[in-house]
Amino acid sequence: MNIFVRELKSNLRSLIIWSVIVVLFVTIGISKFSAYYENPEMLALLDSMPPALLEAFSFGAFNLTTITGFYGVMFTYFALMLSIAAAMWGSDIISKEERDKTVEFSLTLPVTRSRLVTAKALAALVNCIVLLLVTLAASLVSAAQYQPGSEFFGFLRLCMVALFIMQLIFLAIGIFLGCAMKRYKRASAVAVALLLGTYFLSVLSGLNKNLDFLKYLTPFKYFDPGLLLRESRLDLLYVGLSLAIILASMIGAYLTYSRRDLYI
Amino acid sequence: MAMNIFRQEFKMHVRTVITWSLGLTALIVLIVSLFSSFAQDAALLTEMLDNFPEQLLAAFGMTGVDLATILGYFSLAFLFIQIFLALQAANYGFGMVSVEEREWTADFLLTKPVGRTSILTSKLLAALCALAITDVVVWVVSYACIMLVKGDAAVDTGTLLLLLASIVPFQLFFLAVGLVVSLLVKRIRSVTPYAMALGFGMYVLSAFGDMLGESALEKITPFKHFSANYIIQHEAYDWPLVLISVAVIVLSMVGSYLLYARRDIPSAV
Repeated sequence: MNIFVRELKSNLRSLIIWSVIVVLFVTIGISKFSAYYENPEMLALLDSMPPALLEAFSFGAFNLTTITGFYGVMFTYFALMLSIAAAMWGSDIISKEERDKTVEFSLTLPVTRSRLVTAKALAALVNCIVLLLVTLAASLVSAAQYQPGSEFFGFLRLCMVALFIMQLIFLAIGIFLGCAMKRYKRASAVAVALLLGTYFLSVLSGLNKNLDFLKYLTPFKYFDPGLLLRESRLDLLYVGLSLAIILASMIGAYLTYSRRDLYI
Repeated sequence: MAMNIFRQEFKMHVRTVITWSLGLTALIVLIVSLFSSFAQDAALLTEMLDNFPEQLLAAFGMTGVDLATILGYFSLAFLFIQIFLALQAANYGFGMVSVEEREWTADFLLTKPVGRTSILTSKLLAALCALAITDVVVWVVSYACIMLVKGDAAVDTGTLLLLLASIVPFQLFFLAVGLVVSLLVKRIRSVTPYAMALGFGMYVLSAFGDMLGESALEKITPFKHFSANYIIQHEAYDWPLVLISVAVIVLSMVGSYLLYARRDIPSAV
């Protein structure tokens, strides 16, 4: 418990910085929406866009003139930001002990290594949840001026669930890297590289039909906002896949950390 | 300059240079190879983009770009390449001096019979060499890929070279700013968040500046100073903005030397 509290405290500053960034992003993004709001000229143009281009930026199936459609386009950026935060927290929370030479101290405490990992993982999880709630609150407040209907709230709820799963995926991968990487310096760099790589794959897989198989490799394609909007449900196949990734990473994290040779 | 410091620093960079170069090569090859699938929609595309809402195009850096030509298409891809280059340079900049203090090797290094100025020069030159190698890889791969894909179409080689040359000052900007920031703060615990903040922050600034049509933001971010669109459209650099970049680089370098010369170094004991 005290490790958990201590981690929460030491991550507080980073959480505040991320929250400010997210709030700024949501407010600026939605304020930009006024240019699209109920603009029929715009709709006609979107209809005539080439499909490859629409797909590439996941504009497909979105009606930018409604707040729901606009939020669907913003979803990708939220996903990117929240995942970056989660991956950094996950990888940093374990590896920072070695970097700051405090790992010897932590491990002489009367707690097993797996309990240490649990406490740290929970602290990072709480951070992720708080950041998600901040995103939700900022979205609700800045969307309120457009008097969104129940359709928007339903979509928002699905989006938040999808964002939460994505956060969990990258948090788990980050924690696993933090536990498993022999060179602690590499952990956060590898986590970020993995994240940017998969994001880039998701852009590529939209560009070309032959690259469609890539969508299984990148979590950014697991929850297509277009599908969330049209069918208002999550694709269970991908939810399963996500859970498998999370579970595998966490089990891997516990196994590797409990037998890890520490760098002192 | 001290040769042994330079060699040691360069050795430390070798691995990351290889990773970044391989990553960038994969990126360029992938993007350029997808050009053919884009070109099929070419006629449609050009027609489309003419009567397109300005903000939407601007958000993705496509104003005044003809995506049907390989150069226009490449300028879109160039943004991704720039993000990677920015992250690499920012990483080196932030890590260059702070790594010694983080790992308690600064007091060892500073007891050597070498002046601080000469230490910083050696480190800078090592980082510059590392960046130069990456740049050469990017040049060769981009040029080769474009020449392979273009087919019969003519490519304005002069403009392409101009575009490719812009990555040198572009990287210098992030290296210099990273370095001076790392000397301004007391301690850098981990380089990655700082590098991400600088590299990605500048990118987001330029994307937002485009969308909101705010020209004040253009003054800060090198993504605007070396915008691929401008270079391809005008076949020249946007000199006033490029000069801002150069000024920032010079100021940061001078500032770094001054700050490092009188920096208070924490020791392990």
